[in-house]
Amino acid sequence: MTQVAEEPASPQRPATPTGDPAHARRVSLPNRHEVLERVLGLREGSIIVVTLLAAIYFSVNTSSFLTGANFKTLLPYFAPFAIMASGVVFVMILGEIDLSIGAAYLFAPFLFFKLSKAGLPLVPSVLIALLACMAVGMINGFFVAIVGISSFVATLGMLFALEGLTLIISHGQPVATPGAAVTTTTHNVTHVVNGVHVVLPETVNHISTFAKVFGGGIYSELIWALVIVIVLQIVLTFTRWGLYTVAVGSNKLGAGEAGVRVRLVMIRNFVLCSTTAALVGILEAVRASSVQPDPAGANEILFQAIAAAVIGGTVMTGGSGTVVGALIGALFLGILHDGLVLQGVNANYLLFYLGLAILLAMTVNVYVQRARRGTHSG
Amino acid sequence: MADPAIPAETIVGPTSAPDDVLRVEHIAKRFGPVTALRDVNLHLRKGEVLGLLGDNGSGKSTLIKIICGFQKQDAGKMFLHGRPYEPRSVDDARAQGIDTVYQDLALIDELSVYHNLALRREKVHHPIPFLANREMKAEARRALDEIGINIPRIDVAVARLSGGQRQAIAVARTVNSDADILLLDEPLAAMGAKEGSMILDLVARLKEEGRVSILMILHNYVHVLEACDRVSMIQDGAIALDKPTAETSVEELTEIVVNEYRRARMAAHEATTQA
Repeated sequence: MTQVAEEPASPQRPATPTGDPAHARRVSLPNRHEVLERVLGLREGSIIVVTLLAAIYFSVNTSSFLTGANFKTLLPYFAPFAIMASGVVFVMILGEIDLSIGAAYLFAPFLFFKLSKAGLPLVPSVLIALLACMAVGMINGFFVAIVGISSFVATLGMLFALEGLTLIISHGQPVATPGAAVTTTTHNVTHVVNGVHVVLPETVNHISTFAKVFGGGIYSELIWALVIVIVLQIVLTFTRWGLYTVAVGSNKLGAGEAGVRVRLVMIRNFVLCSTTAALVGILEAVRASSVQPDPAGANEILFQAIAAAVIGGTVMTGGSGTVVGALIGALFLGILHDGLVLQGVNANYLLFYLGLAILLAMTVNVYVQRARRGTHSG
Repeated sequence: MADPAIPAETIVGPTSAPDDVLRVEHIAKRFGPVTALRDVNLHLRKGEVLGLLGDNGSGKSTLIKIICGFQKQDAGKMFLHGRPYEPRSVDDARAQGIDTVYQDLALIDELSVYHNLALRREKVHHPIPFLANREMKAEARRALDEIGINIPRIDVAVARLSGGQRQAIAVARTVNSDADILLLDEPLAAMGAKEGSMILDLVARLKEEGRVSILMILHNYVHVLEACDRVSMIQDGAIALDKPTAETSVEELTEIVVNEYRRARMAAHEATTQA
């Protein structure tokens, strides 16, 4: 993993004779140029720059982009994708793809509903739904790592099969998410208007603690996203799991010859990927307090998650990727979506502009990356 | 497939010495219709450097992959220190003291030099098993210094190194292990003359220490005579010659290969004239 390799030299490291003076200067006072160079030196550097540019553009061009209220609007546009993309990154670093995350996203909340309706308490229902999707990931991993089907095909099959299964068990009917019901209470609030006391009834919405934790709370998904991204980035950078993931993605045969258990590594990552997608499915179902058996919507989410991972700097050929990058990629997509809406772009044009903006952003990304390589290896 | 070339009587049968660390008997391996190994008999004595010669496609690498636990033979037995040896995996073989430098080097381009050196022997912290990168760097530095190959930066991805440097890292990874049997599949393949002689020096040093036994695939007969105690030549999936290097010469080794080539030509000629 080059993140580790590229980390700034720590003072404890034995000084190399050639690099020492520059190194000492960098530690004492990093100037603007060096800060820029260091940001671009990160794999996520280019997408950070592109995302900032997008944010600045919308801040300048709309009055409401840079407001607290808009930040809350923005959250559901990126937090779910960030979580899903984190899992996808682990599969994509292997050089594989998981299309079935769209189905896990759709299936998990319906299974949760069924289990809860069958009388199971809420949290165990969630856990069992997640476990079921882990099994889905294991099946994906089995077909890819052991049977040897290409992951695109294997997970495409799983996508259709599991979305079909969701339609079967739901009879195509939307359901109310268990534990996410909104209760309303009415309070009489006294206002003082021109010295006159006026009592007016006000309604207040409540959701259960369960709902607040699992996606219903305003910042719930954001917190889930941040925690998951941080944990998974640590796993990727600082543990054997991450090391083997990069090893298998970079050179599958070589990793096997070196003694890495390639199949185990692959299956494990497919399980992780399905699990994050299932979690997002449940969070979103709780947030919306109902869930539609809509494969088309789920598939759109699948592509957004993969787009977030790719935009964040994870390459589709494997061997390299970052979870933090996926978070920023998701943030970029969210900003784009939200900003275009604020600009009053006609709903019919939205997807069109989104597509063009992705192409433009990725082009900028490529050039920034080239510049970055130029600064480093010359 | 018609059985080619070598008459059965020229195949070297199972041989052994009292101080064998590894014995390989009647090993056979097929890949679908292709017979990679027919009947291989080989032994490796303690502290010995055995050179394995053979043309491209003669089955050398397949034999190495079977011994190191990466593939399983179809028939035949192996013995490690006199006991039956049936490695279940590369890890298992390594746990039993056999480590390998593969022809394709098994390096991970995206990983740093020190992570490559430590792969599957990573050092981790306790109780939370985070990678102990600083220790692995120090270890890598030590291992590379010991070999005497100059790798200026060990925290860059191996993709950025030259062929010779990559080879050196693969060799260092194996030599640095606790193994007492080293399998080297063409350790000099991508190396310049200077780097190559460093590796041969290293092999000579290991031989002097006498701790490890080495089975090494080489292409260059001069290198074989220089570095090895004994040479086995593999032809068409069987051992056709097994001699101490002191009793053979570049001429004799060349002769065997050329003879085989002539026989094959003749067989091909006969086949076409008959048709």
